[in-house]
Amino acid sequence: MNLKSALIAALVLFTCVPFTRAQNLNSKTRVAAFAKLPDWSGMWESDAFVGQADGQQFSEDALKRMKARAESMRPSFTPEYQAKYDEIKKSIQAAIAADPNHPPSTHQPLCGSPPFPATATPGMFEWRVTPEETTFISTVGAVRHIYTDGRSHPSKDLLWPTLMGDSIGHWEGETLVVDTIATRRRIYIGELTGFFAPMSDQLQFTERIRMVDHDQMQIDYTVEDPIALTKPIHSVITYVRVTDFDRMIEEADCEENERDPVVNGRFTTVTH
Amino acid sequence: MPKRHNLLIAALLCTCSLMIAAPACAHHSRAMFDQTKQIILVGTVKDFQWTNPHCWIQVLVPDPTNPQAAAAEWGIEMGAPVELMRKGWKPGSLNPGDKVTIIANPLRDGQPGGLVVSVTGPDGKIIGHPAAPGSRAP
Repeated sequence: MNLKSALIAALVLFTCVPFTRAQNLNSKTRVAAFAKLPDWSGMWESDAFVGQADGQQFSEDALKRMKARAESMRPSFTPEYQAKYDEIKKSIQAAIAADPNHPPSTHQPLCGSPPFPATATPGMFEWRVTPEETTFISTVGAVRHIYTDGRSHPSKDLLWPTLMGDSIGHWEGETLVVDTIATRRRIYIGELTGFFAPMSDQLQFTERIRMVDHDQMQIDYTVEDPIALTKPIHSVITYVRVTDFDRMIEEADCEENERDPVVNGRFTTVTH
Repeated sequence: MPKRHNLLIAALLCTCSLMIAAPACAHHSRAMFDQTKQIILVGTVKDFQWTNPHCWIQVLVPDPTNPQAAAAEWGIEMGAPVELMRKGWKPGSLNPGDKVTIIANPLRDGQPGGLVVSVTGPDGKIIGHPAAPGSRAP
């Protein structure tokens, strides 16, 4: 093989590696690509969390919104997964009955590791919209990367369940359509003290994210899992622009002064 | 014993409510607090902890029926600093020695602790304000 052939072979190999980005825009093209993107600047939060008081107590309006949303998102499990859900729920009910003063910690507290989708967790967040990627950054420590450079999901042998999974997206006008797979195989159930119901490796999330108007965004949200669900879960989550604050301040640092430690699987409180 | 009244049931049941795929309560469950009850604590601030993941007020509450007895120390849990700032609180909103009146949901296990509902400062005014869409912090 002469030098020219070797260079060509190396170039072909380089362009075929699985992690190569599909788009490689030069700066002029990239500036033009930015101009086509919607303006999602500013800080946002779920409408469910507007109006919390000093002790994080929800307003009646917020509770109503959350309940309505929960109803729309109630899962319909297949018999196999309904049995798993029932078993978990029963064990939590027994744990609560055994010691109602110290509820069981049935899910990880939201310190630095909010589960997918981070967009539904409390706290303020920002978007960074670029031609190649849209990034979600929240005050509770979550960062989501949504690749919009035309790539596909990695092949199955390169995927495993992670907190945020693998997200790819594309723009349909000013709506970002996101497909996410390879999250941890679970969905959050807000009953009792909150817990995760197991799901299968077919779990898939689709989000259609758009601005409704200057001060409102919506995520049209679908959860599919043909093994665990008899029908997809579908809901719309609304986000409102934060207008009473202008900075992102980290709030997920639980090492600083955690006074509600989990001891033997139960929440406790250190009063002094 | 600190002065302790059960007020009207506020019915603010924390259901952490049923949002699929992501916990709705910030940081952790609040089920250890009895949110069907409210207590009033009148006392003196020992310490105001402006910290993550939650701010805390340590308050010394004397027993009005026994002034000779040592004041009981209560720990009152609040939101994270960023949440409180949005509601008009500042790191220096309370200082040791400040006279305060605190309304809180008590801990279920009877320990001297609670989840804050409101705090009235030395000037007789409630500190902070409820967040509302479109409002701005002072």
